[in-house]
Amino acid sequence: MSKEINVHHITRVEGHGNINVVINNGTVERCEWAIPEAPRFFEAMVVGRSWNELHHITSRICGICSIGHTLASLKATEAALGIKISEQDLKLRKLALHAENMQSHLLHVGFLVLPDLMAVGSVIPLASSHPAEVKTVLKLHRIANEMSNLLCGRTTHPQRLIPGGFSKIPTAKELAALRSKLMDAVPSLEAVAKLIKGLAGKLPDFKRETEFIALTDPNEYALYDGRIASSDTGSAPAREYLAYTNEYIVPHSTAKWAKHARESYMVGALARVNINYSKLSPMAKETAEMFGLAPVCHNPFMNNIAQLVETVHSVEDSIKLINELEADGLVPQPDYNKPEIKVKAGSGVGAVEVPRGILFHDYTYNDKGICTRANCVIPTNQNHGNISLDMKALVPQIIEKSKSEIELTLEMLVRAYDPCISCSTHVVKVNGN
Amino acid sequence: MKPKVAFFDFAGCEGDQLQVANLEEDLLALLGQVEVVSFREVMKEHSDNYDIAFVEGSCTRLQDEDRLKQIRKNAKIVVALGSCAAIGGINSLRNYKDLDSVKKTVYGDQAKLFDSYAARPIDAVIPVDAYVYGCPIDRDDFLHVVKSLLLGKKPETPTYPVCVECKKNENVCAFERGQFCVGPVTRAGCNSCCVNEGTICWGCRGLVDNPNENSHKEVLIKYGLTVDDAIGKFRLYFGWQEAKR
Amino acid sequence: MKIISKKDFDDFINALIKDESWNVIGVKSRGSKFAFGPLENAQELRLDYDVTLLPPKKYFFPQRETLFTYDLSGGFSAKNPDEAKPMVIIGVHPYDIVALLHMDEIFRETKSDPYYFNKRKASVIIGVNMQKMSKWNFSAYMGCAVIDYGYDLMLTDLGNRYAINTGSQKGEQLLAKYAKNVTPALARDIQIAGQKKREILSLSQQKFDFPPEFIPELLKDSYSNSSFWERHSEKCLACGSCVLVCPTCYCFDVKDNPDISLEHGERIRTWDGCLLEDFAKIASGENFRATRPTRYRHRYFKKGKYLFDRFGFISCVGCGRCSSNCLPNIANPVDLFNDMYNESLNNGAQAITATTHPEVNIQTEGNIDYVPKLATITKKVPMTLSETLFEVKLDDGTELGHKPGQFVEVSVFGIGEAPISLSSSPTVKGAFELCVRKLGNVTTRLHKLNVGDKIGIRGPFGNGFDVDSLKGKDLLFIAGGLGIAPLRSLFNYVLASRNDFGRVFLLYGCKEPKEILFGEELAALSLREDVDFRSTVNFCPENEVWTGNIGVITTLIPQISFDPEKTIAVLCGPPVMYKFVIADLKAKNMPDENIVMSLERRMKCGVGKCGHCQINQIYVCKDGPVFNYSKIKGVPEAL
Ligand SMILES: Cc1cc2nc3c(=O)[nH]c(=O)nc-3n(C[C@H](O)[C@H](O)[C@H](O)COP(=O)(O)OP(=O)(O)OC[C@H]3O[C@@H](n4cnc5c(N)ncnc54)[C@H](O)[C@@H]3O)c2cc1C
Ligand code: SF4
Ligand code: SF4
Ligand code: SF4
Ligand code: SF4
Ligand code: SF4
Ligand code: FES
Repeated sequence: MSKEINVHHITRVEGHGNINVVINNGTVERCEWAIPEAPRFFEAMVVGRSWNELHHITSRICGICSIGHTLASLKATEAALGIKISEQDLKLRKLALHAENMQSHLLHVGFLVLPDLMAVGSVIPLASSHPAEVKTVLKLHRIANEMSNLLCGRTTHPQRLIPGGFSKIPTAKELAALRSKLMDAVPSLEAVAKLIKGLAGKLPDFKRETEFIALTDPNEYALYDGRIASSDTGSAPAREYLAYTNEYIVPHSTAKWAKHARESYMVGALARVNINYSKLSPMAKETAEMFGLAPVCHNPFMNNIAQLVETVHSVEDSIKLINELEADGLVPQPDYNKPEIKVKAGSGVGAVEVPRGILFHDYTYNDKGICTRANCVIPTNQNHGNISLDMKALVPQIIEKSKSEIELTLEMLVRAYDPCISCSTHVVKVNGN
Repeated sequence: MKPKVAFFDFAGCEGDQLQVANLEEDLLALLGQVEVVSFREVMKEHSDNYDIAFVEGSCTRLQDEDRLKQIRKNAKIVVALGSCAAIGGINSLRNYKDLDSVKKTVYGDQAKLFDSYAARPIDAVIPVDAYVYGCPIDRDDFLHVVKSLLLGKKPETPTYPVCVECKKNENVCAFERGQFCVGPVTRAGCNSCCVNEGTICWGCRGLVDNPNENSHKEVLIKYGLTVDDAIGKFRLYFGWQEAKR
Repeated sequence: MKIISKKDFDDFINALIKDESWNVIGVKSRGSKFAFGPLENAQELRLDYDVTLLPPKKYFFPQRETLFTYDLSGGFSAKNPDEAKPMVIIGVHPYDIVALLHMDEIFRETKSDPYYFNKRKASVIIGVNMQKMSKWNFSAYMGCAVIDYGYDLMLTDLGNRYAINTGSQKGEQLLAKYAKNVTPALARDIQIAGQKKREILSLSQQKFDFPPEFIPELLKDSYSNSSFWERHSEKCLACGSCVLVCPTCYCFDVKDNPDISLEHGERIRTWDGCLLEDFAKIASGENFRATRPTRYRHRYFKKGKYLFDRFGFISCVGCGRCSSNCLPNIANPVDLFNDMYNESLNNGAQAITATTHPEVNIQTEGNIDYVPKLATITKKVPMTLSETLFEVKLDDGTELGHKPGQFVEVSVFGIGEAPISLSSSPTVKGAFELCVRKLGNVTTRLHKLNVGDKIGIRGPFGNGFDVDSLKGKDLLFIAGGLGIAPLRSLFNYVLASRNDFGRVFLLYGCKEPKEILFGEELAALSLREDVDFRSTVNFCPENEVWTGNIGVITTLIPQISFDPEKTIAVLCGPPVMYKFVIADLKAKNMPDENIVMSLERRMKCGVGKCGHCQINQIYVCKDGPVFNYSKIKGVPEAL
């Protein structure tokens, strides 16, 4: 008996990916994870552009992680030009990152994963079959978007985030209003967690030992900043990222992939929870316990749960950050703020944890502040190798199932990684495939 | 019968589709007016039977053209969603580069494996009925276009520049703040959102129909940009449009 | 004059803010500039500003304003927006106060605009004399730097205290209710205040080479100096900044904004500007001011001459906002008028002087109603591929009561409004007819409607034909294409009392036979003895039948003989038609006064407010659409 499974342009992920599995007489002949997404060449596009435009351009690498890309880009530029930002701006940027984390995770868990667990094709039928649940997810999602709007001036492709700080910051009143919304969100989040708890049994019980890589920080759950840490080896400063990412081009498939201590590694919410579990906020830990998620978890499907846990963490930590800003007294800044910046030649790396994992931007500027070289390593590319190896390990375990079941399980696996394939700085199609 | 709607993406960041997903409650209301039959980002089902196709992203490869033509064949109305699709957008930055060396920069000696040509808006390949400009699209502007189409109306698109909205919003002009802005030649419709947030207009909605580019370049230079920088300002989003003019 | 200490003044402001019945607006800093905005406390107030980004007109005529909301779920119902809270605006400079007085005249003329005046009446203006003057300001030349009218209260900064002039009861009462320790001014204070005001006049950094009163006269001969306008407007970005920031600009656009249900929505008006590309463009594609020089010229003429001819004032108060907001720096009236003045002197012009003020008599008769009446389509007769005749009845059972030559604004809710001529004679009661060509959004949608469907009607608008003056005269109707629609109203009226008129000719021309409108009615006419009807087509394609004249409409004129002195020619057709027809009539010695015509321009409000239909000092919607040739032949742009 032979089965060929082809899922073209897998749905409910951001970007395009194809699954190609050929099973012949119970053995896996081929198992491929391919990316046909059109390449966009951002690293070349930014060469020749000015330091004050790079964050604007590289934000467009990915609409879903645009805040993360902007922040990684700003951090790289700021490192290269020796720009320091204020403590207040740092907190506001952390809030911006939380907003994206919440927005992205909620979209993923609520709109993209939930339908799988409820065995429907999309969130649209859920809107009529489970209106209350869908409304709750929408409400949370809206709060996250309002938060992005408030911090970034837009829900996608931020405007207020600029080298050296912010062009405009929220008022103390606006932050306080945001805080009460976040506090209101807590019960809704609990409701969503309960809903998913009831369905979590549908997540395949699959394990494959792998390496996890994430930023880490001794004082907090690292998202905006930290050292690169591996679950296999130790940690290192972010500027040494190349020693971790080790990109290579895969001949049979598509993208620049990455490997470190093993054949592949995983980044993203699960990697972060595995590495930084102890720094999670109290309620986030409770949520993790509710699902039995504890480090080190080697089931990639649990990434969905890790995202839920992180959403709770982001809500709680945001409230904490707003409290701190309030306690310190929010310092107003002039309208149309534009920090004074002295341009000089230099290189810098910015590493940020974005919803899908660790992200690096690395730029070199000449003395006029013109970019002469850029390298961006995006989370999804780092995960491709791991997805592929997971598939290879998973297919033999489910080989007896029907073609459609195998197909669904493999799709769920890919979706669990929440791959944001449009981050296609490096992603290309291979000739003649 | 509700019109059937489908979403497609080409070379882009999917930020525009995200803006659609971000309509929140309005999205539910919209679902009362249209039937979404294909939206790969959020649904598994797909159908080739649709009335309105929203296409995001630029055409960057020969093989994209076939897919675009198929969409054109299936749809009664094709809408370019976002600047990548409508004007070539940020992707056209790379059109100023030698593509071979671009590929080398990114892929080194494996570069020859990958095919790609100058990034272009979809109307360089197929006829387009309506445009939602912006990078990303503005949600209200998107709704305006959708409502117009549902009412059988040609969506009105401003033929005036961003400055109009910027003045109405009472911003301090970028030039008065020592910054440089391409709002005077950029099509309005975003409510000058970037300037409202304290920055500048980068030009994401593309050139107005009849821009006075020479005069605006003179302005940029008068206020202190070098000729090269002034040209660079125009290249950020206007690449394809300028090449065509 | 009264005196208040600065501390007591702050308390006065804070008391106003605390009493929540007021919307308290004042000048605040914005970036390196200033703007009017809601005050949270007196500390925010910056009375030492030079100029605000936008003038305070935004509180009376906002950037975007809902005219009404509608609900189509149970037929149609409209609701006017709720009335705003009363407002105190603090810190208005004299030139902006004068500008508001200009706006009052504009919004008051013929019919008053309730949206504007409701807010205007509910507001108190507290002016302040300039302490700083923007370097672009030339209000001193315009007589608007220091004033003693137009405000409710006027402040002059005297160091640690303000001198207050009261200009109205409203001002007086506000002070009495909220301010403490207001004392009468001593002679010394009065003297210092007077000194301060005189100093203001010397702050001006702009310089007119001639008295601005000469501007209307100066402009007179400059209209056709196209090289002057081309040279000056070469760098124009058509960005509209110069008009959008102007305190005396009032043009607006009207649009429908349905919500997603498509059942509810609002009709809004938004600021528009004559410098913008499509301002005078109509659905057929014709743009009456298509080029930058013509639009650029229009602005200067509007400020310096058109409104002067209409209202008796130069519509510029010298605030300098246009100058400072124009990036290529070509919008400064001082520079432009100086150039024009010096150039005309160099060209040997006679000494230019002030024009005598035109006679102005602004009448107000009731309010404008922007909410249409609901009406029903009772008949729909397709006439050609793109024209349909609609019979329409007002739902409230009233007669429209129009004159031939008038038009109505037809609404299709959610789409918008379009001006359409009444095509039926007022002698026909109970319903009226509209002949509509499918061109743009509203007209296309109208064509999709059916008998029983609802539309909105405002009007009748416009002057219509002066029927009485036509009595006893011979009449020569000349219609081109759709121009037959408005003429039919008059024509049928004439036929209804045929004995009141002399000979009647009707010349009608179309592009080709299949475009002929009212074919059957016209065929019936050919049988009548008392009407000389002739028609022509520009060409006849192979597959169509045509036995009549072939050629443009002017080829029919030599075929008839009429007494030019006794005959009134009534013209309506596409813009290109007029020039040729008039030339031929003139060749036949017809006096100018005997030629009457109906003109078309882009329209929005239909009531002489939005500025879209403006030709020089004329509003086509209100002063027309019917014009006597003798009155408009000298008006550039008209034909
Ligand atoms: C006094 C007068 C009488 C008219 N009588 C008739 C008539 O009897 N039958 C007929 O078919 N047409 C008539 N027109 C022309 C008709 O008004 C336009 O064709 C119509 O406004 C087009 O509107 P639209 O929404 O379909 O087009 P769009 O191109 O979508 O126009 C948008 C808006 O612009 C304005 N506009 C566009 N074109 C014109 C125009 N030509 N004149 C005025 N405003 C315009 C209107 O406010 C319109 O709603 C008349 C115009 C005027 C000024
Ligand atoms: S237009 Fe902008 S938001 Fe839309 S796909 Fe392109 S880069 Fe993304
Ligand atoms: S900031 Fe830009 S868009 Fe705004 S007015 Fe100035 S030039 Fe125009
Ligand atoms: S202000 Fe300019 S860059 Fe910003 S959204 Fe509008 S057109 Fe785009
Ligand atoms: S004159 Fe100046 S401000 Fe006015 S439209 Fe032209 S460029 Fe803009
Ligand atoms: S024309 Fe210019 S100076 Fe005159 S009132 Fe208007 S903006 Fe002020
Ligand atoms: S002034 Fe508005 S249409 Fe004439």
